[in-house]
Amino acid sequence: MTATTVADRRPVSSPEARVKRWLRRIFIGIPLAALAIWTIYPMLMTLSISFKTKADVSADPGLIPANPTLDGYRSVLERDGFQSAFVNSMLVGLGTALLTVVLAVPAAYAFARFRFRGRHLLLLFTLLPRLIPALGLMVPLYRIAVTLGAIDHLLTLIVAFTGTVLPLAVWLFVGFFQQVPRELEEAANVDGASLYSRIRYIVLPLAFPAIITIGVLAFREAWNEFNLVLGLTSSPGSRTLPYELFLMTQTTGFQDNPGQAAFAIMTIIPFIFVYLRLERYVVSGLTSGALK
Amino acid sequence: MSGIDTSPPREVAGPSEPQPELPRTRRLRTLARADKSSLVGHAGATPYVLSGPSILMVTALLVFPVVYAVWVSLFDAEFIGGPQEFVGLGQYTALLGDPDFMGSVGRTLIFVTGVLVIGVPLGLVFAFALSRATGKLRFLRGITIVPYLISGIATAVIFRLILNRDFGEVNRVLGFLGIEDVAWFSDPTLAMLASMLAQVWSDLPLVILLLLGGLMTVDAELLDAADVDGATGWKRALMVSIPLIIPQLVLATILLSYQALTSLGVILALTGGGPVDATRTLPVALYEAAFVDLETNKAMAIVIVILLFNALLTLGYWLISRRFDLEEA
Repeated sequence: MTATTVADRRPVSSPEARVKRWLRRIFIGIPLAALAIWTIYPMLMTLSISFKTKADVSADPGLIPANPTLDGYRSVLERDGFQSAFVNSMLVGLGTALLTVVLAVPAAYAFARFRFRGRHLLLLFTLLPRLIPALGLMVPLYRIAVTLGAIDHLLTLIVAFTGTVLPLAVWLFVGFFQQVPRELEEAANVDGASLYSRIRYIVLPLAFPAIITIGVLAFREAWNEFNLVLGLTSSPGSRTLPYELFLMTQTTGFQDNPGQAAFAIMTIIPFIFVYLRLERYVVSGLTSGALK
Repeated sequence: MSGIDTSPPREVAGPSEPQPELPRTRRLRTLARADKSSLVGHAGATPYVLSGPSILMVTALLVFPVVYAVWVSLFDAEFIGGPQEFVGLGQYTALLGDPDFMGSVGRTLIFVTGVLVIGVPLGLVFAFALSRATGKLRFLRGITIVPYLISGIATAVIFRLILNRDFGEVNRVLGFLGIEDVAWFSDPTLAMLASMLAQVWSDLPLVILLLLGGLMTVDAELLDAADVDGATGWKRALMVSIPLIIPQLVLATILLSYQALTSLGVILALTGGGPVDATRTLPVALYEAAFVDLETNKAMAIVIVILLFNALLTLGYWLISRRFDLEEA
């Protein structure tokens, strides 16, 4: 029926072609809808629960809370440890991003521009993070930190995270630096610019997107990392958000669902915000980092 | 940072310095040769000063801890904090004879396999759909990555909520289909399935983007040719696209295995390894040995076992990247 009317209106496309086109649309449309639901719905439900009262979590199944409340967020903000964990996460995230960039830029410049013994270490750099994941470092670094008396210091976390992000950061920077035309530097060289000036005034401005990308990459690592925080912190006040959220799930169990939802949302939102603002820089860096 | 400050001024003159009075052609040739390898050729200490801090840092924080772990795993203490006694490979043989440990190895294999069985086909379907999404639907690509930005713990919290027995959205849908009261976290099999789902959710963006990258390079003309021959939709995808993205499929498989093998936060926060020990995989066993039972020597041996499994995957990943000559990234 529909096929005939369509064919009448558009004599060019036969009914079969029309049906085929619709079938193709459905073949693509259903998985796309499934992808959207798979990705977004769990987060939407969590957002919804975070604004519900404890009783309404099971009483009110709607996505839009019938009696919206900020109790969940209040219970998190009043929780011992949340505020310090939030500040710690920020400090450790920013510190890791900064230290990573400061160490990785000169190293990557050396790998990208100089021929020297040790250049082959770059290949090792690309393999090391795969060979030695943070999970493998959790216990040894914990014992080492205990021996050195470095447990519970934010600086320890920053240094540890920087160590795990650094190989990837160097590797990504090398790729960016190799795209900076040598001719630019050679011209500056002829004009008498020092190595420092060449990096500072030619390479770095051109590699600005790379710095943002790698900064965000390092920040994400520090913001989300759980294994190393588990190993390197032991007292309240020194932990970061994922560990604090983990402790909340252990202590409140299934009692305070809106609170846990609110906590999860509050750990997600700041990074999503950063991500949305810097998306055009970050997506390629994040994915190349992970897929490398 | 110190590397930059100490940049020796003698490099400034660059490649032309060694032969300042040479004829122009010769100088140009020297420049060209230098251009192939480096800006200033052999530059003395500079590259070492520049890369030294990073290399030291990586050695101290990635390489040394592993060596240290191997060393500690060769010892044992009779009681916590007791004197360390050299036992050689005793920790490892003890692990091999420990049913609890071997159980966790088995569960790890089940967990990794399950993540692959769920994740790879799902990622393939989503990537294929995304590769055909045009116009306004392209925004879906931006959203796809979001779960990857969320920590494993937050992912676990999200899944605790949507899989909740009483009010979880998943159980509501299942109830609608006539399947009532699914106890995700008290049934051993379902708890394992829940862990797999959360793990897949967290890592699927990587798989999708990797496969999408492969699909985008599949020649459009090839697909058109297939179209003319009467291949449409999924048939076309299966017959034409999949053989062409086998390298990406293999890499995605290894990547997912790697993430699943080293996943601690998701499982710990979702099920805590339970019920009883149903989801007690290797990482959970490591956590318990190190931080619950405080058996440091044994924990270090488990670390090494995990790293060995992981090295096998890395080796596979490396060989396959080389074999298919994949553009890294």
